[in-house]
Amino acid sequence: MKPFSLKLKPAFLCLLAAALFISCSEDDSVTTATPFVVAFENLSANISDIETSKTLSLVYSETATVQGSFEVSIVSTNAIYGVDFTTEPAAEGSTITLPIEASENGKSIVFNKLNPTLDETVTIELNISAIHYPSSVIQGNTRFLFGNTPALGTGYSPNVGGPNQQNQVYIDLSSEAETVVQRDTWDLGFYAGDEFRVGINGAIYMATAQLESTDIDAISEADVTDLQPQVAVGTFDPDNVAYIDHPDGAITKTAIASISATEAENKVYLVNLGYTVGTDAPEPGSVAVAGSARGWKKIRVLRQGDDYLLQYANLNDTTHEEVVISKNEGYNFTFFSFDTENVVTAEPRADQWDLNFTVFTNIIDGAGSYGFSDGVLHNSKGGVTAYSVETTAFDYDTFSASDVVLNNFEQDQRVIGSTWRDVINDDKVLIDTIFYILKDANGNLYKLKFTSLLNENGERGFPEFKYNLLQ
Amino acid sequence: MKNTSFLLLFTLSTIRVFSQNQPIKDTTTVEKLNEVVVTGQLNPQAVSKSVVEVKVISRSDIERQGGNNLADVLNSTLNINITPNTATGKSGVSLFGLDGQYFKVLMDNIPIINEEGVGNNTDLTLINIEDIERIEIVEGAMGVQYGANAVSGIINIITKKGSKNDWDITASVQEETIGSEYEWFDKGRHIQTLKIGHNFSENFYANASFTRNDFGGFWNDKQGENYDANDGLRGHEWLPKLQHNAKAVLSYEKENIKLFYRFDYLTETIDNFSENVDLNENPATATTNPTAQDEIYTNNRFYHHLNASGSLFSKIPYNISVSYQEQTKDLERYTYYIRRQQRENVEEGEYQSRSAFFSRGTFSNIIQTETANLQLGYELTNEKGTGSSVAIVIAPGEEEITQKLDNYDFFAASEWQLTQRLSLRPGARVSFSNLFDTQYIGSLSAKQTLGDDWEVRGIIGSANRTPSYDELYTYFVDVNHNVQGNPELNPEKGISTFLHIKKNSTLSEGKIRLKNKLSFNYLGLQDRIELIVVQQNPLAYQYSNIDNYKAIGAFSENEIYFGNFKGQLGASVQGISKVLDSRTDSNDDFLFNLQLNANVSYSLPKYRTTFSLFFKHIGEQQQFVEKTNDEGNQEFVAGTTEAYSWLDATINKSFFSKKLTTTLGARNIFDITAVNTTAFEGGAHNSPATQIPLGYGRSFFLKLTYNISL
Repeated sequence: MKPFSLKLKPAFLCLLAAALFISCSEDDSVTTATPFVVAFENLSANISDIETSKTLSLVYSETATVQGSFEVSIVSTNAIYGVDFTTEPAAEGSTITLPIEASENGKSIVFNKLNPTLDETVTIELNISAIHYPSSVIQGNTRFLFGNTPALGTGYSPNVGGPNQQNQVYIDLSSEAETVVQRDTWDLGFYAGDEFRVGINGAIYMATAQLESTDIDAISEADVTDLQPQVAVGTFDPDNVAYIDHPDGAITKTAIASISATEAENKVYLVNLGYTVGTDAPEPGSVAVAGSARGWKKIRVLRQGDDYLLQYANLNDTTHEEVVISKNEGYNFTFFSFDTENVVTAEPRADQWDLNFTVFTNIIDGAGSYGFSDGVLHNSKGGVTAYSVETTAFDYDTFSASDVVLNNFEQDQRVIGSTWRDVINDDKVLIDTIFYILKDANGNLYKLKFTSLLNENGERGFPEFKYNLLQ
Repeated sequence: MKNTSFLLLFTLSTIRVFSQNQPIKDTTTVEKLNEVVVTGQLNPQAVSKSVVEVKVISRSDIERQGGNNLADVLNSTLNINITPNTATGKSGVSLFGLDGQYFKVLMDNIPIINEEGVGNNTDLTLINIEDIERIEIVEGAMGVQYGANAVSGIINIITKKGSKNDWDITASVQEETIGSEYEWFDKGRHIQTLKIGHNFSENFYANASFTRNDFGGFWNDKQGENYDANDGLRGHEWLPKLQHNAKAVLSYEKENIKLFYRFDYLTETIDNFSENVDLNENPATATTNPTAQDEIYTNNRFYHHLNASGSLFSKIPYNISVSYQEQTKDLERYTYYIRRQQRENVEEGEYQSRSAFFSRGTFSNIIQTETANLQLGYELTNEKGTGSSVAIVIAPGEEEITQKLDNYDFFAASEWQLTQRLSLRPGARVSFSNLFDTQYIGSLSAKQTLGDDWEVRGIIGSANRTPSYDELYTYFVDVNHNVQGNPELNPEKGISTFLHIKKNSTLSEGKIRLKNKLSFNYLGLQDRIELIVVQQNPLAYQYSNIDNYKAIGAFSENEIYFGNFKGQLGASVQGISKVLDSRTDSNDDFLFNLQLNANVSYSLPKYRTTFSLFFKHIGEQQQFVEKTNDEGNQEFVAGTTEAYSWLDATINKSFFSKKLTTTLGARNIFDITAVNTTAFEGGAHNSPATQIPLGYGRSFFLKLTYNISL
C-alpha cells in the first residue's frame, strides 16, 4: 500500500480524522449568483401598425421580494411627447419612474399614439436607465424601439400544445405573428404554384401509394389488402419512402405524381389517413402524438382547366365524390379535409410565415419513413432559407450580419427540423450548442436559438426560442 | 501450537446450526474444518458428507474482508461476477454468463424478496451481512430443492440465532473512502452498527441489531446536487444511497422443538440528481433560472420469517418455514430549482413492488433404513407484483401492471447409501401455478469416496426461469415502433451437470494440509426468451421462447493450511455458446473466459493480528455482437471486454482481550474504475457503450468494533 499513500493522503487523513470524530466537510454549493433585472419583454413594434395605443410589458428576472423602483428614459426623433404620443404612467421630463412592489413579476407601460400620421421617419426609443433594487443590473432587452423596421426579436413560446403536440404553429418572425392550427385539420394540400402537385399531411403520418388503375370505382379493399401494411409511416422498410412526400419540402418530390393534363395518366391512389391527434397523457418527457388510425381512402386527382378535380371515396365504394379545388393565389396550398369534405384554412399566406412548429414525417437512412415530434420546418416554398451554426464556431450573442455566409443558406425545410433536441435517451434534452440563421422572403436576416424543450414539469411540447434581427 | 491463530479464527466463527444429527461442539481439532451446511441437505450435515457440493464463506472470512454488504463479500469468489449498475445503484450477480434473473439468494433457506423478484434479481447491496453466520454457495441448477429461478446457482445466507454468552453487545463504526473521496457527511461511506444479543433463559434467546450505511456516492468529476451549469457535470457518477436496517431474532429451543422468528426491515433512499440542467433562459432579462428533473427512489423491505423444526414422533425431522415479505420501491420526482435549492412539482408514487407469502416445509426420514432416506417437501408462494408505467413500458394511459403468481410445489428427495462409499441422491419436483403449465423438474446426484482422501461428486440438476414482467407485459406501440411482451411465454428450462473431484491431503507430518478440487461443469438453457422480429413489414417485435444457451467449463479450487498461513487459490475457464435462433447468421461458437482468484491470510497470534489479501482476475471476455461492417452489411463479430484484476488487502488486529477489533483495509488496489468493451450492440438510435463501470477506484477503510460479552 505504501506507493499509493501519497496520492490519497488528504482523503486518508480525513478518514483517520473521522475515526477521531473530526469533520472534513466543505461547502459543496457551486451555483452562480443572479442579479435582479428589469427588461422589456420584446424589442420593437412597428409604429404604423399601432392604431391608438400599445401596451409594453416589462418583466423582472425573478419575483420581487422587496420594494424598489426603476426608470425608463425616452428619446424620440421627429415626434414630440405630449403632442404626437404620451405614456401611462406619464413621463416627467423624459423619464418614466415605475415602482417595484414585493411579489410582483413585472410592469407595463401604455404607449398612446396621438398623431395618426406618424411616418417611417419617426423613431421613439425607450431605455431602462436605472434600477433601484438590491443587486440589480441593467442587461438584456434594455431598449424598446418604435420605428418602421421588421421586428428586432423576442423570446417566443409557440403554442404547440404539450405532449400531444396537437398544433401546427406558423410563426412570422418579422411581425411576431403566430397562427395555430390543429394538426389534423387538413388531409390534402393542392399546390398553388405553377406545378400541379398534391401533398399529403405528414403531421398526422399519412401515406399514399399509386395503383395501376385509373378507375376509382373499380378499386375495392381486396385489391389493396397486400399493399396496405406497407403504405404507412414507421414500417422500417427503406422502400416505404415512396409513399410519403419527401421531408425536404421540395414540391417536385410529393408521393402523388404530378397531376397530368392527360387524364389517363392520373392514376388512382390508396391513401392511409394516418392517425388522429393523441390524447393520452404520457410519462413526463415522452410524447403521445398519435391517437387511433383514421382509416383509408382511395383518391384520383385530375386537372380541370387551371383547377384541380379531386375524386375520392371509401375503399369499397363503387361510386365516388367529386370536388373542384382552385389554386389559392398568395398561398402555398389549398387545403382539403376528408372530415369536413370541404376546403379548409390552415397555413397563413405564403409570405406571412417563416417557421412551422409541427410533428412531421421524416426519413431515416436505411429505415425509411419515421414519425418525428418537435419538428420545426421553415417555409421553403415561400422563399425562406436557413442554415445552422455551432456555438463552437460562433457565439450566439455576438453573431452579427457580417458573420452570415450567404452560400450556406439551404432550401431543405428540415434545417432546424429536429436537430435542436435529443430525445433518444430517457432524458430528453435541448441541444444548446446550435443556433440557426434564417433569411425570410423579404431578405430579413434573423438568428434564432432554442432555449427550452420541456416545461418546468419536464413535459414535452413546450418549446421556447429567442431570435434577433441581424442588422 | 502453530495452529492456534487459525483455530482461533474458526472458534470466532462459532458454527451453530440447528442440527438434528450432528451437534457441533467447539472442539479444537482439525475436524472443525468440516463445516456443517444445510443447503440442499436432507438433514444438516458436514460439507464432506454432503452429496451436493457446497462452498462455504465463514463469518471469519467475512470479517477479515471487512465487506459491508453481500456484493463486497462475493467479489472475490471464483465464478461469481459482481455487476454494479451506476444508473440504478444496484449490484447484480453474474454466474456462468447468466445474470441475476437466474440466480437465487436465500436467507435461512427461504428466498429474499426484492421489487423485481422473489429470490432472484437480488440487489446484493441490499443484503446487509452484519448478523450472518456463514454463506453457503451451490453452483448449478437447484430447482428441486429451491424452485424456480435457481438456474445458475444459489446463495443461502445462514444467520446467527444463538450465542453461548449471556449478553453480547457489539458496536462498530466503519469509515471508508470512495476512491480518494472522503468527507464527514457528503462523501465516502459511513457505517454504524449496534447489536445486542441476550439469552433470557436456557431456552430463549433474542438479538436485535441496527445498521446505518451512508454511501456518499462516487463523485469523480461530478459536482453534486447544487451545480447549475448544463455541462453534464451535475449529480454523481455513482448514486448516493442511505440505508437503515433493523433486525431482530427470537429463538426458542426445547427438547423436541426449535422455533425462531426473524424480522428484518430495510429502508434505502437513492438520490438521482439529473446531469441535465434546464437553464430556463429568460431572453428578455438575459438571466437564467436553472432547474433539473430529479428523482429519489425509496426502497422499503419487510421480512418476517417464522421457522419451526424438530421431529415428529421422535422420528421424522421436520423443518417448516412461514414467511411474509414485501418490498416496495417508491419514486419521488420533482423539479429542483438549483439556485433556490427548492423542490417543486413534487410527484410521489409507487415505482415497483412485490409481496409474497411463502411457506416451505420438509419432512425427512419418511422412509429411513440403514441405506435409504426419503425427504418430502412442499413449497408454496403467493406472489403479487406491481410495476408502474415509469418502471415498465406499458401502453400510455395505463397506470401500472399487476401480476399474481401462485406456485404450489411438491418435491421429494432421497438419499441411498448404495455402498459405504457410494451414495445416490435422486430428487424431483412438480410445480403447479396459475400462470404457467405444470413444470416437472428432476435432479440426480452421486457421491463416491475413494480411500479416505478422495471424494467424487456428480450432480445433475434442473431449474426453470420465470419470465420477467418486461418480457410478459411490455407494450411499446406507436407510429414508429411495435415492441410487445408476450403473456403466453413459458419459463426457460435450465439443466446443469457438475463433476467435482476433491482430494484432502496432509504433508510434512500434518504440518501442511491441502484440499484440492477439480470441477467440470455444463449448463444448458432451452427456450431462452429473446425479443424477436415477428413481422417484417411493418416491423414488429415480440418476446418469444426461442434461443438456446450453453456454458461449459472447468475450474479448480485449492486450499492450503500451513502453520499460521492459509491460502486459497482458484482458476476457472468457462466457455459460453449462444444459439440465437432469433437472429440470422448468428455465431454459436464457444467463447472462453479465464478467471483466477486467490485469498491468502497470515496470522501473528502473538500480536492478535491477521494480514489478508483477496485477489481476483477476470480475463478478457468475448461476446458475439451484430455490427455493420465496412460494406454496410450486418455481421456477427466477437466483441471484447478487457481483462481486469481486483485486489483487496486487510489487517485485522484485536486489543484488550478481543474487546476491541480493528480492521484496516484497502479495496480495489489496482484502482479500477471501468474497462473498455466492444461487446455491446448499439440500439436503433444510439451507438453502443464502450466502457463498463466496475468500481470507484482505490479505497481505504477502517472498522472499529467494540464487543462486550457477559
